[in-house]
Amino acid sequence: MFKKILFATTASPACDHAARVAFDMAGRYQSDLSVLHVLGVPSRGFGQYVTDVRTGEQLVPDEDYVAWVKEEMKTTYAEQLKQCPGCTMEAVAGIPHTEILRFARKTDADLLILGGHTKDRENEGYTYRNMAGSTLQSVARSARCPVLVVSRPAASFWGGFSNIVLGTDFSKAAEHAFRFALSAARQLDCRLHLFHALDISGMHAGKVLEQDEIEDRLRDSLNTMRRKYVSQMKDFKNYEIDAWEGVPYVEIVKYAREKFADLIVMAHHTGSRDAENSALGSTMEQVVLRATCPVISVNHADKVSQDA
Amino acid sequence: MPEGTLCNRKMVNEKEFLSALLADKQGKQYYAELNELDVDHKKLVDTLSKTLKSRTKTWLEICAHCGMCADSCFFYLANKKDPEQVPSYKIQSTLGRLVKAPHKADNAFMQYCMDTAWGKCTCCNRCGSYCPFGIDMGVMFSYLRGLLFSQGFVPWELKIGSGMHRIYQAQMDVTSEDWVETCEWMAEESEEEYPGLEIPIDKEGADIMYTVNAREPKHYPQDIAEAAMLFHIAGENWTVPSKGWEETSLAMFAGDWEACKMQVESVYAAMDRLKPKRMVVTECGHAYRATVIEGPYWAGLASGKTPVESLHYVEWVAEALRTGKLKIDPAKKIKEPVTYQDSCNYIRNAGLRDIPREIMSYIAEDFREMKPCKEHNFCCGGGGGMNGLGRYREQRNIGLKVKRDQILATGAKLVISPCHNCWDAIRDMEEVYRIGIRWSFLKPLLLDMVIVPEHLRAEE
Amino acid sequence: MYDFVTGPLLWLTFIIFVVGLLARLVVYIRGLDWKADRVTYRVNTSYGIKGALRSIVSWLIPYKTFGWRTNPVMTVLFFVMHVGLLVTPVFLKAHNYMLYDAFGFSLPTIPDGVADLLTIGVITAVAFILLRRLALPEVRILTDWKDIVLLAITAAPFVTGFLAYHEAGNYDFWIIAHILSGEIMLIAVPFTKLSHFLLFFLSRAQLGMDFGIKRGGMKGKGFAW
Repeated sequence: MFKKILFATTASPACDHAARVAFDMAGRYQSDLSVLHVLGVPSRGFGQYVTDVRTGEQLVPDEDYVAWVKEEMKTTYAEQLKQCPGCTMEAVAGIPHTEILRFARKTDADLLILGGHTKDRENEGYTYRNMAGSTLQSVARSARCPVLVVSRPAASFWGGFSNIVLGTDFSKAAEHAFRFALSAARQLDCRLHLFHALDISGMHAGKVLEQDEIEDRLRDSLNTMRRKYVSQMKDFKNYEIDAWEGVPYVEIVKYAREKFADLIVMAHHTGSRDAENSALGSTMEQVVLRATCPVISVNHADKVSQDA
Repeated sequence: MPEGTLCNRKMVNEKEFLSALLADKQGKQYYAELNELDVDHKKLVDTLSKTLKSRTKTWLEICAHCGMCADSCFFYLANKKDPEQVPSYKIQSTLGRLVKAPHKADNAFMQYCMDTAWGKCTCCNRCGSYCPFGIDMGVMFSYLRGLLFSQGFVPWELKIGSGMHRIYQAQMDVTSEDWVETCEWMAEESEEEYPGLEIPIDKEGADIMYTVNAREPKHYPQDIAEAAMLFHIAGENWTVPSKGWEETSLAMFAGDWEACKMQVESVYAAMDRLKPKRMVVTECGHAYRATVIEGPYWAGLASGKTPVESLHYVEWVAEALRTGKLKIDPAKKIKEPVTYQDSCNYIRNAGLRDIPREIMSYIAEDFREMKPCKEHNFCCGGGGGMNGLGRYREQRNIGLKVKRDQILATGAKLVISPCHNCWDAIRDMEEVYRIGIRWSFLKPLLLDMVIVPEHLRAEE
Repeated sequence: MYDFVTGPLLWLTFIIFVVGLLARLVVYIRGLDWKADRVTYRVNTSYGIKGALRSIVSWLIPYKTFGWRTNPVMTVLFFVMHVGLLVTPVFLKAHNYMLYDAFGFSLPTIPDGVADLLTIGVITAVAFILLRRLALPEVRILTDWKDIVLLAITAAPFVTGFLAYHEAGNYDFWIIAHILSGEIMLIAVPFTKLSHFLLFFLSRAQLGMDFGIKRGGMKGKGFAW
């Protein structure tokens, strides 16, 4: 299913679950696996210094240091490497999302795996977080290939697929996500659930919708799903469509739980450059944090086959 | 020992030397060797006799010791009016003394000069504007840096920086291939949002040749994408050169005049090769000063001008807004209080003070000037290379206070800073002093506000 | 004695003054180097001249430049001293009588009362400048014995002249003292910082050309000193 996997790791325990999934998938699909660790974030203007992401120390990453980091990575993943001897390790300094995307392009990855990120953000630095949004959001927005995010131990299971949930907001990106979800459902021979969450979170801002209007909109979204997606499914019949009102990420997580989803596929909406403010962006991030299964974000059509 | 393995009078022309310098953690060995470095008096006297002319000699001689330069210097103000920070004192106790008795200059004195030239001055030239005699101490410190560099007394990061320019013709180790690769990558990424967007490489006869700061391809490639998007929206016929694409100059901060010449010549060569109508420089102040203002002199061009007319990014933006190539959606103008950082190198020292005001009139509803502003504004605190020097980080952080107080006094929540160094300094200032402001280059702000013409929009 | 100091010594003084300043002018201008200074003096000369004039004239007007505005008290002292310094000797009645006697022409003169006022102005200004040199830390750190001596040399002709004119004490003593102190000052001009009499204009012109040609003057508006 995936030929070239790139696993971006902080090489710390927080990424252990993602690592398990990455190596497992590489073994299962006989993929070329690359492991990338962004070891330091640049600081001090034009200087060569980086802030080491693990120790917070300021240093210049010369060849020796990088080699040492790679050795450390090999030690950390020693067990997994036994199953996956062809896997390559790489360590670079730079802004995490930039280097991950750069490397993904270089290796022509068709799947990017990211691990838990909440705790490790401390060392990314106050300013970088403010400036670039989270690594996850930036990578998910720009990656040409699907991005698989494994955050919780409960979500670090890839296999035995029975149900895939697609969360859609009907955007162009969601269309790419749909094609990917459909392709995955065919390949993994499982049930595809198409779900739209009608956003009523504006209630807090005083924009209260009448229940009649809500139900009208729900009906409309079901029709849209039939029109946009079901029409493309041709002979694939193992699907369901649903729409509920609520706070999007809550509804998606609940729906996934109810349907015993083994995988959630969503799009990460492009929109504003200020990634933190992008509403759907934070939806994806929240889903990643709360789901009990892996979440894949698909934003571009590059690595999604057109004839799903 | 007369010269060390890392700290010496040799130029960094080979990668091995550069790597050796980089590997020296925080310049520990370098600075240890610096303490033993001898002064080559013969060379010093010779250099002085060849380069010290009547302008500088007169400046040093006629200083009336009036002290009017004191309040003009942000280091003086930030250091609670420490008399040792008075610009005249700083230059007279270093260059003044050196010129009177060069044969007496010893290691300790040269280190004092180094610590003053790089740790107590950003060459912002503000003092020169406040001296009744027009004595430009910033220019003299730049000259002193040149003398010190030729003697091997230069901060570690700038020795590396000058090496970068000598070897890569860029301030970071980004090769031509890396650069072109990054441009291609950014064009690919932006194409979905802007169909038809291209980053043409080495196109001849274009209207605009765009050059950048090496940190853009290395760490902030989105900046290149943003520039491409804006040129695309404005319908510009533009290109980037594969060689001579970088126009910054750490060599200028280092006082390595030979490397300065090499660096600007690479850009001028690109101009000669591609024959664009004009060159536009990215949002970087010292790059403009180095390549457009001082550069022609390093390259020996008697016209004093670059081979092709050169614009700082703000000049292009103002022109695009003025001519309607870029149209702003009035609903998306900046509504919160916003202020503007006047970078020394293209405002005070290149006469572009009114351009930012013009831009602000198009994009901001509540624009607040800093006090003082325009050519009398203060240095961000990190110019002259200071942002990158570990040895003087503490001094730089103190210097940031003046800019901090200026920003606080405006009440602005956003600082627009179209200069890589100023942007860094303001970021660091926020990190150290946490006054709760945001800061930005022009490109991302413009992209949020600009109206994309119908025919360029992606179908949704 | 009187004949000597108003005769040969005075001639010598003026010769030294003029030749000395001419020499400094020539040396300065010949020492300008477009490559070293990084200003193309001979190219874009109209911008250069405009810049030079802006640079000089703005500083000759009290409170016109930001520099003057940030130092309001110093500005007063500066202008009071310099106006008195330049106007009094040139337009004083007594000096012009001597000029007429010697060469048959004289310049317009100012009333003695005005001269007195200007003189007191000069002396007071010098006194405050001296005080400033000792009281303000940013000036004290720069001040050396030469600065004090120059202040003394500058004040001396005015003090002695005032005393001589008002015939306080021994006239013969004060008049000789006055003439000698005046001659000392004039002779000092080419050799000390008093050379700023000329070099102020040259240095400001140079910086004005720098800003006029290279640092922005060609982009339309001149530097707002």
